[in-house]
Amino acid sequence: MGIRILSPEVASQIAAGEVVERPASVVKELVENSIDADAREIRVEVGQGGRRLIRVTDDGCGVPAAEAELAFHRHSTSKLASAEDLNHITTLGFRGEALASIAAVSRVTFLTRAAEEEAGTLLRLEGGRVVARRPVGRPPGTTVTVEDLFYNVPARRKFLRSEATERRHIDAWVTRYALAYPHLRFALTHDGREGFHSPGSGDLRDVLVAVHGVKTGAALLEIPEDPGSGSSIRVRGFVGPPSLHRGDRGGITLFVNGRWIQDARLAYAVIQAYHTLLPTGRYPVATIFISLPPEEVDVNVHPAKAEVRFQDGNEVFRVVQRAVRRSVLEQAHIPAASLPASPTWPGFRPSDRRPPVWAAQAQEPAVQPALPPREAPSGMPLLRVVGQVGAAYIIAEGPDGLYLIDQHAAHERVLYERMMAQREEGVPSQGLLEPEPVDLSPETAGLVEAHRESLRRLGFELEPFGGSTFLVRALPAVLAHARAAEVLADVARALQEGRSQVAEETEQAVMRRVCKQAAVKAGQVLTREEMEGLVQALERCASPRTCPHGRPTMIHISVAQLAREFGRE
Amino acid sequence: MKVSCLQENLAKGLSIVGRAVSPRSTLPILSHVLLATDGGRLRLSATNLEIGINCWIGARVEEEGTIAVPARTFIDLVNALPPDRVDMEGVVRTMTLNLRCGRSEANIKGMDAVEFPPIPMPEGEGGVRLDAEALRTAIAQVAFAAATDEARPILTGVLVQFEEDRVTLAAADGYRLSVRSVPLPEPVGEPFSVIVPARAMVELGRICADQEEPVLTTVTPDHNRILFQLTDVVLVSQLIPGNFPDYRQIIPRDRNTRTVVGTADLLKACRTAQIFARDGAHIVQFHVHLGTDLEPGRLVVSATSAETGDDVTQLDASVEGEPIEIAFNVKYLIDVLSVLGTPQVALDTTSSSSPGVLRPVGEEDFIHVVMPMHLGR
Repeated sequence: MGIRILSPEVASQIAAGEVVERPASVVKELVENSIDADAREIRVEVGQGGRRLIRVTDDGCGVPAAEAELAFHRHSTSKLASAEDLNHITTLGFRGEALASIAAVSRVTFLTRAAEEEAGTLLRLEGGRVVARRPVGRPPGTTVTVEDLFYNVPARRKFLRSEATERRHIDAWVTRYALAYPHLRFALTHDGREGFHSPGSGDLRDVLVAVHGVKTGAALLEIPEDPGSGSSIRVRGFVGPPSLHRGDRGGITLFVNGRWIQDARLAYAVIQAYHTLLPTGRYPVATIFISLPPEEVDVNVHPAKAEVRFQDGNEVFRVVQRAVRRSVLEQAHIPAASLPASPTWPGFRPSDRRPPVWAAQAQEPAVQPALPPREAPSGMPLLRVVGQVGAAYIIAEGPDGLYLIDQHAAHERVLYERMMAQREEGVPSQGLLEPEPVDLSPETAGLVEAHRESLRRLGFELEPFGGSTFLVRALPAVLAHARAAEVLADVARALQEGRSQVAEETEQAVMRRVCKQAAVKAGQVLTREEMEGLVQALERCASPRTCPHGRPTMIHISVAQLAREFGRE
Repeated sequence: MKVSCLQENLAKGLSIVGRAVSPRSTLPILSHVLLATDGGRLRLSATNLEIGINCWIGARVEEEGTIAVPARTFIDLVNALPPDRVDMEGVVRTMTLNLRCGRSEANIKGMDAVEFPPIPMPEGEGGVRLDAEALRTAIAQVAFAAATDEARPILTGVLVQFEEDRVTLAAADGYRLSVRSVPLPEPVGEPFSVIVPARAMVELGRICADQEEPVLTTVTPDHNRILFQLTDVVLVSQLIPGNFPDYRQIIPRDRNTRTVVGTADLLKACRTAQIFARDGAHIVQFHVHLGTDLEPGRLVVSATSAETGDDVTQLDASVEGEPIEIAFNVKYLIDVLSVLGTPQVALDTTSSSSPGVLRPVGEEDFIHVVMPMHLGR
């Protein structure tokens, strides 16, 4: 077969593949058009996961009858006039490819009426060619019906996933737009059954409640304004408290200038902000809107526009991380004890089983708090130590009930923050009277040798002593009572586990390990003075609620909860 | 058993043996004090299996016998009695001790004395005599440096080394070493050394406070225990098996700087520094400045806490050698300065990462080595 130029039909099918990857991409493009058309209400109907039917109806400005066909020409758009405009894109669509691409691979019925015209237009297209056209009556707005998607591209049809998967992708897109445009009403139906819908009240939290449910939606913390940053980058949105976490990054939704984006680095900025607050392997829930001048971000990177390029990516990273961290530290609540005790496993949070919000009215504390609600600088209530249970937990009373503190986790947190603070000046190190030789495995010895400098900054003074033996000359002062051999072996393990991580994280992993070693253990009986000292030190911490490994340091049982349990209501 | 004694004597004897009672033992008998008539006197005994103490008090014995009574109850009762004659009678059938004093009468439920673990008694005449006052001082200067955690059991003990006409006590916890030697009234034949738990030494030091006669020391033939005989008191302790590290190697031979300051002034400066060093790692900084013809040298003691603040104390010092900056754990310094016993202390240093040596000025027999701290920068 010789070389020849592809027929326009084939060429357009190939191009369509870039934009229309799956039913969800059709939904995305059509919803974007509706939003750009200033719609206030957008209805999305889906049949068989979008294979049979996708219909998007809006009450936007519509397309004038004279321009209806033009809308389906490639590179035709009303949103852009010159290349210059590309530098300050404010609409979602701009390529002028969407409708043409969709029409190339499906049967499209385009029903539209411009607000200023008397009658609407109906246009039927098959494989990109207009097969019917007539005037019709309808209220202003546009309805695009896409049927039999990929009917003429069997290869593409074969690669569609299960109906459920495609449905999930569509749900994701509609939800993203609902979050980005809380003032628009979205309604989604699958095979005639009502799915997600947002009220269009303009309040983002209402949308979040629609997305996550009442319980989670209400628990999310709003990122406060930070007028003093001096940066042109603004961050708003909602982030979950540390008690709210899931097994994947899917709970993190990012928008840049109102456009949903995928950005591993920014998602990492969000995760980083929860550093040491979440259990290992768990990820936060966050919906974050970043706005910055259009000229500082390039959205024209990818046809699906899911990726963007920032002029100053580091600055964006920093601003996002700081905003999230601040919100979490300032507002996060102590995890509430769930009574009666219920089994917990990943993905199941007992708090989901609490009564709905409308019942909250009846749960107002009936008992006056014993202490005035004074707060420690960290936002932790001032606590009075009551005693110790099981030589592992400190019982304390706060202004609003009972607090159970895990002595080991709490001490770990105190030591960790102290060590972080000391890192600037140098971590205090205590010399050993007699240097102690410690044998390591050859593999870990190599790692220890490679990290000798950063270990020295953390207070370890080590000297190679031939083979895989090190002479320990000094230990971090907090570890003065531990055995050098155990400490070094443990640190070597931390290095081994953190091998793939960047230096900064490895160092923190070592610090966490040191603090774990140095912290009081469960089973250690503490005197009242020791318990009070620990609680006071915890109050001074920046994030007193979790240990450096992300486990909670304390559990709160409110006065109301106690009253309920004792049937005093 | 039927015996009478004075309340003061009984209370005093109980305060001595009471220290060996183990209040939270799984063996109930260990929380008891054994009362036994013994050759016209009353013997009080208590043990926690590591330490055992026997104490004899004057008494009028009408009927021989023994009984074990709960230590806490008995001590509380005796301390509450008026300073009068105490008449005690053990009722074997009910294992009860009936006690009358003045107008009070009490009955204490006891246990059979046979269950009480035997405490070895001194046998024969042999043993080394130690001056009680010198021993008490030496214990105070050494025992605190022993380790308190069980990571290295040997270091929880005090090395007691008999050599010719001297006995040397040494203790170390991995970061500091205290060594004190005391002349013996009469030389020993064979040199020998034992490791005595620091807790036992501290008890011995306490009991020695009232002792005027020399203390007679013997090691049991099986080398498992050591006995200290005082007037009317015998303290028995388990020995810690093993070899104590060679402490002589740890003591630095040379120095670059010798700083001599008033002991009380330095202790005070350390106590002040401790207020700020408390939050962090108890780190206190020493800056040693050389003197000039016009002004004396200086030791500047300072501590800094990121959370609470900082302080600086300047001390006049006579400095020989080079200026130096060195940091120590302030708790360690306070420990040693509190027991130094001379008006002036000499601090010998070589570098900021080599051990510091403290010696009482004018006293050759005490030496304390402490490892410096530093900031890993």
